[in-house]
Amino acid sequence: MENRRTLAGVLSWIGLGIVVAFIVIAVLAPILAPYPVEGPSAIVAPKLQPPSLTHLMGTDESGQDVFSRVLWGAQTSLEVMAIGVVLALAIGFPVGLYSGYSGGAVDRIILLVMDSIYAFPGLLLALLVAVMLGKGVFNIGIAITVIYIPLYYRVTRNQTLSIREETYVEAARGLGARPWTIMWSYIAYNVLVTIPVIFALSAADAILTAAGLSFLGLGIQWPTPDWGLDLSIANTFGDIGNGVWWTSFFPGLMIILLTVGLSFLGEGLNDLVNPLLKKERA
Amino acid sequence: MPRRGSLVAYGVTRLVMAFPMLLILLTVVFVVLRIIPGDPIYALYGGRAKPSVVMAQRHKLGLDQPLYLQFANYIAQVFTGNFGTSLGPIFGGQNVMDVIMQRLPATVELAVGSMLVATIIGISVGILSGINRDRIVDVVGRLYGTIIFVIPIFWLGLMLQFVFAVDLKWFPVNSRFDVSIPPPATITGLYTIDSLLKGRLDAFAVAVRHLFLPCLTLGLVLSGFFTKTVRANLLRTAGADYVEAARARGIRRRAIVMRYAFKNALIPVITVLGLEFAILFAGAVLTETTFNWNGMGLLLVNSIEVQDYPLIQGTIIVYSFIIVIISLMVDFLNGLIDPRVRY
Repeated sequence: MENRRTLAGVLSWIGLGIVVAFIVIAVLAPILAPYPVEGPSAIVAPKLQPPSLTHLMGTDESGQDVFSRVLWGAQTSLEVMAIGVVLALAIGFPVGLYSGYSGGAVDRIILLVMDSIYAFPGLLLALLVAVMLGKGVFNIGIAITVIYIPLYYRVTRNQTLSIREETYVEAARGLGARPWTIMWSYIAYNVLVTIPVIFALSAADAILTAAGLSFLGLGIQWPTPDWGLDLSIANTFGDIGNGVWWTSFFPGLMIILLTVGLSFLGEGLNDLVNPLLKKERA
Repeated sequence: MPRRGSLVAYGVTRLVMAFPMLLILLTVVFVVLRIIPGDPIYALYGGRAKPSVVMAQRHKLGLDQPLYLQFANYIAQVFTGNFGTSLGPIFGGQNVMDVIMQRLPATVELAVGSMLVATIIGISVGILSGINRDRIVDVVGRLYGTIIFVIPIFWLGLMLQFVFAVDLKWFPVNSRFDVSIPPPATITGLYTIDSLLKGRLDAFAVAVRHLFLPCLTLGLVLSGFFTKTVRANLLRTAGADYVEAARARGIRRRAIVMRYAFKNALIPVITVLGLEFAILFAGAVLTETTFNWNGMGLLLVNSIEVQDYPLIQGTIIVYSFIIVIISLMVDFLNGLIDPRVRY
């Protein structure tokens, strides 16, 4: 039993470490990257050189240093993820709070709409929005937002539904507190406690979705460094078929490391926070 | 009138409830495609086309009509299955529905194969993990479930291609069939089934070899979800009274796991199947692009590239229908197995 708690704890620390490392890489990319990634000076070597000491991860189809692009890619990925997930929270949370607290027909209608959107494959929905909005970091962030609103809505609503019946909320209502006050002063905080877990897990998913959009050629526009885009270019030129593995291996590895970090963090937090799991464990 | 709580009543209620869901999905698609930035022609052509061309295209697609008329037309199109004709260079002039139906079997073949891989691997790892709780096998199994689930499908596909197709040459790199021999005559459109129906074992072998890597890729990624669900539920049912009772009667551990715990642990797995299918179809788009697999997903991506608006809309609508039908089937299956979920 102790052992399991430790595993969850260890995993969340590893996850946190990875996430922090990626934030550092993203911030320090201009200093860490050995070669420039945009502009004419970014073409630094003959194309498709295998990894070597001068180019740790080799060079790509246009003669750019893969290592430098991979470092800068952390910036793009984290930006898109942050825009997407934060906006989704900013919309999903208040709507969920309102829907869960007021109940009745309004609640049922919002729930039905959100559930229908949730049932649709996220990538396809984001793809549709991305087609209409066009490429770019901000637009892809918006496309990501659309798919995670229902998630935050649902978590917030369900949580609100149960907290609404708590005695202290009952007491506040009895004392004549207005619905707005009850929602924001009494319920909101207790719902927010559950959000970090969802935040970490949806952030991991958002990074995968954004990479998927870029891989399909709908996400980030070249020459902006982006992991999904670099994989897409490698696939378009058939690098793998020509035995060139480094142009896709390294960008993908970065995606995996970051998403694994976020998942460990999320699942670790979940094990530590979720009272249901704790009860089962005892 | 069927009895309350009967399977028929449950099925009928779910069927009726599926309609609002479908309508909402279709409305969301409409809103995204028609309202968000103005209209699709602007989004697709940007400022590059002559105004006269844009006007002509808009008129052709009925985009110069008021929105409520457009919506009525759209719904009418959807329920008559008539999505107009393709505007792209590849399928230009062909009926959108026909084009989609040609591509659908490839996606179905990929989806079924991947689901097979995912269930076999996912459930096995889940059971191993669950019955070895907290031992090293469990830790490895849990890590597998978490990590495989966040590996980008396209990356895994490219890496498997590199190892098994380029380096070892065990499987073809991509596509559905060899160029050198003719594919089986179309009956169902599924190459594996068609070749068997025609008795062409050589073609069957080729089709399976082509299917292997894409299905393995998508199946592995999907298996993570099964692993987690099976493990969690096995742990839950392992503590249940009926398992305790079986143990008290001296039934062997193996038999308890398989006959008592596992069977009940499977029920929630069927519930998550619905979610799994949603991931499956999104994943299929990526897998098809990675393996140049001529299915609906690749069709969608290609029509986006050539700005074929009717084809984009048609494909998305067909996806919506598939999703609603599958979620209905999953719910029905749930009601069949577990009477408690019926209304």
